[in-house]
Amino acid sequence: MTGEQTESYLYKLEAVLEEGRLLTVVVLAQSDERAFSTAENNILRHTVAPAKIKELSLVEKKPVGRQGVGYVIETSHFG
Amino acid sequence: MAERKQWKWADDPSLNKMEFTKLEKDGLDVIETIVNTYSKEGFQSIESSDMDRFKWAGVYQQRPKDGHFMMRVRIPGGILNSEQARVLAKIAEDYGRDLVDVTTRQAVQFHWLTVESLADIFDRLASVGLSSFEACGDCPRQIMGNPLAGIDPHEVLDTRPLVAELEKFFLMNREFSNLPRKYKISISANVHNAAHAQINDLAFTPAKKTIAGEEVIGFHVWVGGGLSAKPHLAKKLDVFCRPEEVIKVAEGVTTLFRDFGYRQKRTHARLKFLVADWGAEKFKDELINLVGELETQGEDLLKGWNGGYFYGIHEQQQAGLYYAGLSVPVGRMNAGELVELAHLADEYGDGTIGTCNTQNVLIRNIPQDKVAAFQAEPLIVNRFKLTPNTFVGYAVSCTGTEYCNLAIVETKERMRSLALYLDDTVTLDTPLRIHMIGCPNSCGQRQIADIGLQGALVKTSAGMVEAFDIHVGGTLEEAQFNRKLNARITVDKLGPFLAQLITLYKEDRSEGEQYWRYVERVGLEKIQSQVDSILQTA
Ligand code: HEM
Ligand code: SF4
Repeated sequence: MTGEQTESYLYKLEAVLEEGRLLTVVVLAQSDERAFSTAENNILRHTVAPAKIKELSLVEKKPVGRQGVGYVIETSHFG
Repeated sequence: MAERKQWKWADDPSLNKMEFTKLEKDGLDVIETIVNTYSKEGFQSIESSDMDRFKWAGVYQQRPKDGHFMMRVRIPGGILNSEQARVLAKIAEDYGRDLVDVTTRQAVQFHWLTVESLADIFDRLASVGLSSFEACGDCPRQIMGNPLAGIDPHEVLDTRPLVAELEKFFLMNREFSNLPRKYKISISANVHNAAHAQINDLAFTPAKKTIAGEEVIGFHVWVGGGLSAKPHLAKKLDVFCRPEEVIKVAEGVTTLFRDFGYRQKRTHARLKFLVADWGAEKFKDELINLVGELETQGEDLLKGWNGGYFYGIHEQQQAGLYYAGLSVPVGRMNAGELVELAHLADEYGDGTIGTCNTQNVLIRNIPQDKVAAFQAEPLIVNRFKLTPNTFVGYAVSCTGTEYCNLAIVETKERMRSLALYLDDTVTLDTPLRIHMIGCPNSCGQRQIADIGLQGALVKTSAGMVEAFDIHVGGTLEEAQFNRKLNARITVDKLGPFLAQLITLYKEDRSEGEQYWRYVERVGLEKIQSQVDSILQTA
């Protein structure tokens, strides 16, 4: 799709696993597609038995042009 | 370049990076550099620190970042005249690929501008008393107001002179060009909260008080509202402000923000954070320390909320004169349409045009004997309708991936087609406000919508698919933000999903009950169960 994007973004993604768990994943990438694949790789690396991802979505991106970009992740429940 | 200010926070080492940029060179100084240098030497010559300062000139890089800009033009209080409208239209035609957007704070936005065009655009705007300066950046932005000021049967005084004074006081005022963050003012004496008081940093709403035996019409003062990813409703201060005290109070509040607002973290800099820390009581005390005694609160004259909508032909304060509230779907028009609108304003009205925070427009002062002919005009019959269909009429959208670097999904065209679909599919006799945004920043004010749609990208076997999270029950009537449901709906299913959700509400509601009231009555769990049942059968 893009190719246009030269900036890097800090992406926030949400993964719903088959067993019902919700993971929030933060990755640095240069395009939305890359953000997805990077997130998947990170989830794989993070889990011993390969996680079955039911749904993976990208919900926010922030340009890393400025210092101090980050996310606060709520972990207790969806939302 | 103007003499540099010695700000009291200048020696604080914990300031964020942008603060150092602002200390090095005031945002307003970039205007001169744009005119004298960048507009002659081109995009490549722009220094990166100045690119941040471009916002003070009202320009912002758009997506893709290939040398094009968006520009926001201030329309103080949401009222402009036909001559100004024609100049705006010509700018869009000459430089902006024929595109004019009306924004959720009553400004006008252009896209596709090049830096070479900016000096000429500044001149053209100035020639009719308009400006893009400080329409973005850490400074007092476009002043939001009642687009019906002066003619509104539901206002308690004419706020036009106050908007003009505020605009004159703040625009290009170097005492206030370096605030911790963006700063949004709203003022309206409309009893239906036409200027969305609770989501502005500083807002004035109609009030009255008997002082020394005399009934005075004035304002209550609200501080610390704002949307974005961390929305807050403004707090009402225990003060009553006479009309002649508005500038003094605005100066006081803005001074408190400038001098005590937070400059360490940009994500914790808006006035709402200071207000949250101090509380309304301390904030009032500090304000009075600064500006002197103020009366305590009087009687609140706010009666509900009109959502910022004015559709149809309505009587004015002035007998025999009417205003016409028109629908501009998702706020987008082309230059020709704006020129035609200016023509109709001259031909039928007094030449003034109102811009609404619902991304719509209105025409003022139409004599009774011209109303019928006005209603028959092709632009009114075919495009900017007086009685739009329910969903097209109450749809609001941010810019989305079309031009916005932060967007996750496409919004504007999508919201337009979604509204058309819903109008084809569901018949509803009450407004249902749907706001669509492409990321959590909430330019399209998702939080105050009956149904707020926020974009996300979902990975499927077919690749990335755009989707929306559903939020329900927002309003500024008994002000509350909408709440998120557990549902992320991909765009192929979004229309049918919403049609079913709205049909369930339609069948279950009491007569005329608005969606947000319905959500309030039946509770979020019930709406979630509706959602679950729709998704099960989908
Ligand atoms: C290039 C396109 C745009 C970008 C990059 C952009 C960026 C942003 C950002 C970052 C915020 C949140 C800032 C904060 O509150 O901390 C914001 C808020 C907002 N923007 Fe935009 N925006 C864009 C276009 C628009 C358009 C087209 C409109 C009007 C339709 C708009 C109106 C607003 C409004 C009303 C807010 C809400 C802020 C509040 O009340 O607190 N923006 N925008
Ligand atoms: S809400 Fe997000 S996507 Fe939409 S215009 Fe604002 S910043 Fe861009």
